[in-house]
Amino acid sequence: MTFDLQKILESKRAYRQSLAALPIAEKLRILDALRERALAIRGETEAGRNASKAEHRVDHPINNGRNTDRN
Amino acid sequence: MEADGVVDRYAIGGAVGATFFLEPFATLDVDIFVSVRPEPGSLIVSPKPIFDYLTARGGKVEGEYIVIGGWPVQFLPPGTPLVSEALREAVEMDVEGTQARVFTAEHLAAIALQTGRAKDKARLLQFIESGRLDSDRFRAILACHGLDGAWRKFETQYLGDEP
Repeated sequence: MTFDLQKILESKRAYRQSLAALPIAEKLRILDALRERALAIRGETEAGRNASKAEHRVDHPINNGRNTDRN
Repeated sequence: MEADGVVDRYAIGGAVGATFFLEPFATLDVDIFVSVRPEPGSLIVSPKPIFDYLTARGGKVEGEYIVIGGWPVQFLPPGTPLVSEALREAVEMDVEGTQARVFTAEHLAAIALQTGRAKDKARLLQFIESGRLDSDRFRAILACHGLDGAWRKFETQYLGDEP
């Protein structure tokens, strides 16, 4: 463990190289897992954003209950 | 699909294509580039035969995508001469006994330069750092498709010694 930025960057590079060197089937399995994770994060973010928008619509006096969401 | 005549040729591009050469990165879909001929009696090229073929085999259409094995797959025509060339020169790669055709690393890197979004620039840097590019071949592709200027700008911005 170190706070030496050069060493941190080197270890990141080495890790990326080791991932790049994996067999393609293994990399595709990792893609599957990454996709699941990205969808989960997106789901959380969307849910949070929608909740925040709903709150904004209710609480903001200028809105008067109108839906201003144009996304 | 190629063997059944649905498409003339296909190749995987995008982030999944890049994963054949680099470390895996998160992506939500698969880009498959296809060359197709117009249906008889039509001048317009349509993805309908592809969708019909794949839905008959369990694929599910969702908007512009067809979901296969849980992955949304987008079929794209080659929109530029560079992508057409990438499709022509794509290479066969083995995935656990199954052959898959993929754009070459040099074409993927050149397409990233041409597309030029932030994530494409990041991917181009990854290609350069990976040492997977044949630099003569890469430069020849850039020259052939008028990308020398874009490359010089990229080099100055991201590969220069000065911060």
